[in-house]
Amino acid sequence: MTSNEDKASGRGLAASIMTAALMLPGVQAHAETPPANGTITLGYLNYKDSQSGLDRTTVHSPSLSITAPVAGVWNIGASVVSDDVSGASPRYHTAISGASHMQDHRTAGDVSATRYFERGTMTAGVAYSNEHDYLSRALSLQGSLESESKNTTWTVGIGHADDHINPVNKIVSNEKKRSTSLLLGVTQVLTTSDIAQLTLTHSQGEGYFSDPYKALDNRPRSRDETTLLARWNHHLASTGGTSRLSYRYYRDSFGVRGHTLGAEYVQPLSQGWTVTPEARLYSQSAASFYYDPLYDAKLGAPFPPGYNGTGYMTADQRLSGFGAVTLGLKVSKQLDKLWSVDVKASVYQQRGSWRLFHEGSPGLDALRAQTVQIAINRQW
Amino acid sequence: MKPISIAMLLAAALGAAPAWALEKGAAAPQFDLQGLEGAVKLAKLQGKVVYVDFWASWCGPCRQSFPWMNEMQAKYGAKGLQIVGVNVDANSADARQFLTTMPARFAIGFDPQGATPRSYGIKGMPSSVLIGPDGKVLLEHSGFREADRAELESKIQNALGAVK
Amino acid sequence: MKALLLIALAAGLSGCASLGNVQPWEKGTLARTEMTFGDGHMFTRFDDHIYTSREASSGGAGVGGGGCGCN
Repeated sequence: MTSNEDKASGRGLAASIMTAALMLPGVQAHAETPPANGTITLGYLNYKDSQSGLDRTTVHSPSLSITAPVAGVWNIGASVVSDDVSGASPRYHTAISGASHMQDHRTAGDVSATRYFERGTMTAGVAYSNEHDYLSRALSLQGSLESESKNTTWTVGIGHADDHINPVNKIVSNEKKRSTSLLLGVTQVLTTSDIAQLTLTHSQGEGYFSDPYKALDNRPRSRDETTLLARWNHHLASTGGTSRLSYRYYRDSFGVRGHTLGAEYVQPLSQGWTVTPEARLYSQSAASFYYDPLYDAKLGAPFPPGYNGTGYMTADQRLSGFGAVTLGLKVSKQLDKLWSVDVKASVYQQRGSWRLFHEGSPGLDALRAQTVQIAINRQW
Repeated sequence: MKPISIAMLLAAALGAAPAWALEKGAAAPQFDLQGLEGAVKLAKLQGKVVYVDFWASWCGPCRQSFPWMNEMQAKYGAKGLQIVGVNVDANSADARQFLTTMPARFAIGFDPQGATPRSYGIKGMPSSVLIGPDGKVLLEHSGFREADRAELESKIQNALGAVK
Repeated sequence: MKALLLIALAAGLSGCASLGNVQPWEKGTLARTEMTFGDGHMFTRFDDHIYTSREASSGGAGVGGGGCGCN
């Protein structure tokens, strides 16, 4: 672990390109042999959000990723991303007057190696993310096992992350956060045109979870999370298109319950074009220690009523109750045998009143965001 | 209850050896398929060592195996080897498209209904079956990796050697 | 609640034996990229990163991604 850090600080850009951190590729269905070809992808993300009619955060994120089959039984993957984040983040709720302007640069990378066996795979990976005030390092190991007919695939995974937090405002210093995750999944072929997957993940984290840049933010020093993800891909022979549906249920010890419903439809067209419209619906409950923008009569904002300096509390919009909708469209073109391009645009809006089945948190302005993503791919 | 059923499933998966539907020495099932030029029948190949390969346009390792099969046919054709590539694409047009970019210098038969792979009980794609001149199955092999080339070639040589 | 989630997974597991007896030569459609659950695509990572920076839910498909101080 220390050697990774030394390498990165010692050799600058070259080092950050070679150091890679990994998020495991998730649960795959067909695991007999590695892909015949490697791919190199150059990508770019542009993200902008706004609130109360004012621009908030802008992110520029160029990224490079490579995959390469090796010796017919291995697949190596590596990627590096460089986030340029700037803008104003509210110090509490959606208050622009109390906004903290920031300019930050984050470099992250990952490497993974997958070994293919007769009836399964084993993947090991490392991930690394570095900002001036936040360092994260993670390791993971994931294995899959196929049934004899290869219609059922079981997956088990374990991951561990170690974060070091040193905020510039010195509200705390040399804080740590560690978490361990366990994953269990099953992928099942249902028909010649249907495949489904169920994944259960459980994470346990200890350490510093508060946001040092948010006023009065004080969160528990442990966070247990459980996620259940169900996915179903269905191919329509009549159109040649494929629907990809997913539902995710999330709950954690902060009291947050989240539901995510995702749907995309991949439609190949002639001349190597493919269009993929996408819609995502999200709804979450507030954390148990989130307080609404109703402030103490004497102390005023950002103090909650009856503030006495103790107890868990947060005025972070991300832990409030709300619903959100994403609409996106991806257009892809296979240029020739080796080159392809993908472009995706999406709009996102988050509102307290959009929370499903229950009341969302009141008093927060809607958050709007738009993203544009581009990827240029080359097989080799 | 649940942990036990998971353990049992895993044990079954790990312990089960691949079961060949056809045993060594069993008579190879007949097939009569439409080919690129006329019919392709196993009965007509009696007396030759026949290497039946089940392939499809969508199967990655199949693409790797074609140059090797072309090489084998060229090298051992005169010694009595006949390679037959049985295509199992549901839509034969996809197979013909594949063949324009990867030509086959061995016999090709189309079986979109999948009757032949079913009768041979194949377990993976690609799969190959080596049949002796007496029409009996010599070996059945699943998959195609770099490492398989040498092993399969030596099996072909043995089968041809036995003929003389 | 955790018990309910385990039951859901076990139900998925035990139901598997009877469903989906697709033969190896019938897997042409399933071989299509859009029919797999590969999450390695760059856009998936970008999206996941954005959502974990703006919402409280996280994870689902894989383990081992590091954190960030994303605000």
